[in-house]
Amino acid sequence: MDNIVVVENLSKIYGKDIVAVDGISFQVRKGEIFGFLGPNGAGKSTTIKILTTLLEKTSGKASIDGLDIDADQAKVRRIIGYCSQDVGVDDDLTARENLILQCSFHHIPKDKARSKVDELLRKVRLTEAADRRLKTFSGGMRKRLDLASSLVSDPEVLFLDEPTTGLDPQSRQDVWEYVKQLNKQGMTIFLTTQYMEEADRLADRLCIVDQGKIVAEGKPNELKANVGADKITLWFKTDDLEACEKAVKALSNLQGIEEVGKCVVGLTTTEGLIIMTKNGSAVVTQVVRALDSAGIELEQLKLTVPTLDEVFIKLTGKTLNVIERKEAVRRGRRGMRS
Amino acid sequence: MKMEIISEIVAIFRRWNTKLLRQPIFLFFSLIQPLVWFLLFTQAFSAIGDIPAFKTLTGTNSYITFFTAAVIIQTIASSALQAGIGLVNDLDSGFMDKMRVAPISKSAILFGKLFSDAISTIIQVIIILFIGLALGVNIASGVLGALMILAIAATFGIAWSGISLFIALTTKSSQTTLSVGLLTTFPLLFLSASVMPLQLLPSWVQQVAKVNPFTYIAQAFQNLIIKGFVLDSIGYAFIAILIIGVISLGASILVFQKKIS
Repeated sequence: MDNIVVVENLSKIYGKDIVAVDGISFQVRKGEIFGFLGPNGAGKSTTIKILTTLLEKTSGKASIDGLDIDADQAKVRRIIGYCSQDVGVDDDLTARENLILQCSFHHIPKDKARSKVDELLRKVRLTEAADRRLKTFSGGMRKRLDLASSLVSDPEVLFLDEPTTGLDPQSRQDVWEYVKQLNKQGMTIFLTTQYMEEADRLADRLCIVDQGKIVAEGKPNELKANVGADKITLWFKTDDLEACEKAVKALSNLQGIEEVGKCVVGLTTTEGLIIMTKNGSAVVTQVVRALDSAGIELEQLKLTVPTLDEVFIKLTGKTLNVIERKEAVRRGRRGMRS
Repeated sequence: MKMEIISEIVAIFRRWNTKLLRQPIFLFFSLIQPLVWFLLFTQAFSAIGDIPAFKTLTGTNSYITFFTAAVIIQTIASSALQAGIGLVNDLDSGFMDKMRVAPISKSAILFGKLFSDAISTIIQVIIILFIGLALGVNIASGVLGALMILAIAATFGIAWSGISLFIALTTKSSQTTLSVGLLTTFPLLFLSASVMPLQLLPSWVQQVAKVNPFTYIAQAFQNLIIKGFVLDSIGYAFIAILIIGVISLGASILVFQKKIS
């Protein structure tokens, strides 16, 4: 497959020694949704700003569709779209006026612009609100308009910097749907996010970034498979060692089980008996059957599969999703951005 | 390529005009200060017109007629502040990034704004001239002279706005842009020939006033209002505008061309 974004050894150092991006290399393939997942301050926005020609890099190389981001800056700008974290729309104008303005920035002839704007308004479901000023718009509506405004030129690569941060769940779903649609029509999408659910749902491939470095790269499923097995947890009706040991014995012959935990008194009230397996959903029925025929009564059973959050914890020792912290940082944000 | 930059400037110019028209209250408020000046200062200082030297130096014994130039300059200066503030607002809202990612020229972003500000300056100066007329200030150079006043006001406004743009782009703070503007306008006005004829100023102030651009703009306005077309003073005004404009706008464009975050 063709690579449309190629990044080699990219670094950004603010001031003397604040390393925001620390020698990263990656490729985005044509037609895929590529995710950049990481916590606040990981260097996601810095990377996206360098790639969209907004910010000077310190060292390294990057190209978009074969065009160097420095040498061919003007050409790069003609083939990309960009949605920043701040919603870049003008509140004094109406939705339609905002889009028409963007069309004129891209030198789209008037009559073509008019039909383009109508089409975009329809796609982001803002036709009815088209002639209202943005002051009356909700956060979700503004974000949808922001998305539409970065699409007037039919970009080859769309850069989305945390497209759903600060949105309500319904608006988030809307944005996801729309991004998927765009991708189906062939648009390459590069998105940064701090939400593992977002990366998991949208990204064909992703990089997990932390402190300016890429700590893992791959398809979401591969990444999750790498951190480990699925987990089945059992709690028994009676809280005695006997039942537990009987269960361990009954399960010991089952195929596909990698590891069974130890029986300790009080297991039922605590973490339960843990079974590790590669293929949880297939093994769980066998587990239930084996326990049933051994006459062991279960109180509760839980199947857990690894999440990208766990991938992140395993790789960095930190947890990923800290929404409150992010909001606090956003409020105080100005000056240095992640 | 050349046609593109014109259409870019037009698009940005129209955006700011639309924004201006939707905030008419803003135009109104920007006129309050000149009105206060007109009414209070000229009342308090009307006796200046009785100084014998004043009449020989200026050609009028009406202080309010002389002072009209100062009111216009003050209006231009405070209107020029808005150029920088508007830019900082765009930087803060993220709209600037949208423009910077688009394939448009940086100069178009600045000049679209400057031309729109020039329009609002012209409107304000027209209103001031009418208020002056109502207060008995006649323009000796007539309608053509009034048009010349508007031309000087608009071009001086653009050149002076360059300073505000430069501060806005380097500090990215509306606070700083506003305070630098407010803090410099007053001293510059009083250290020039705007409120008092040059020869009546203390000698050290005269020295400062001679290198103060406000002096040359004020003298051009004063002559157009009191005497008629005095080509020398109009020439000096445009030279001052050219020098300020080249430096301030050149510096702003240079700063703006660099990638910023």
